[in-house]
Amino acid sequence: MVQINIELPESDSKTVAPTNITVMITNDGKVTLNGQKIKLANVRSGIQKEVAKQSNKENATIAIVAEKGVDWQHVNRVMVMAGRLGLKAIIATQPRS
Amino acid sequence: MGFKKKSKVSAEFNMSSLTDIIFLLLIFFMLTSSLIIPNALNLKLPGKASNQKPPKSQPVIITINSAGTYTYNGRKASISGMEKEVRTLKRKDSNASVIITPNARADNDKVVAVLDMAYRYGINAILTDPK
Repeated sequence: MVQINIELPESDSKTVAPTNITVMITNDGKVTLNGQKIKLANVRSGIQKEVAKQSNKENATIAIVAEKGVDWQHVNRVMVMAGRLGLKAIIATQPRS
Repeated sequence: MGFKKKSKVSAEFNMSSLTDIIFLLLIFFMLTSSLIIPNALNLKLPGKASNQKPPKSQPVIITINSAGTYTYNGRKASISGMEKEVRTLKRKDSNASVIITPNARADNDKVVAVLDMAYRYGINAILTDPK
């Protein structure tokens, strides 16, 4: 479980996001990997380290927790990274209020 | 002298009220923390083996510009307007797909709104690299 105190995009999806590897991007440009602050340049190596810790490497999934209003390019960058590393990725959303 | 103390004040502390409050707080935090788990939209990334069939019909192209306005096959459209279009598209072709081309500076919630719409109608949404 991760502590989230930001507004997420809304969707009707009922899929519960796995939170083994979470990359959080906020509107002020800060990036955190599993709660630890990280530089954008180090995200890739950070993700690889986290994946190495997982017991189920085949199904390792990156949860992209992007605040409402974050530029799409940042989300896209993490998505592309996950794709290159052969991981799964999901975008965290919150239920429609 | 045979004086008797009438009332003895117990020096022990009554723990039951304290445990009451502790349990109440415990239940409160358990309930609220489960609400924090976010929901998610699944992404299918290239590189993973997938047995998706290519769409038969010409896919619809949705673009999102940096201001957050949408175009649907080149025409300006709103989310509700696109929903009607997508609904008829799904009726015509159950294997329909839309190509989403967001601007690099578009808000991510605008993109997620389109992904969510596609998810609700069971349409394949294909994201392309941002412009």
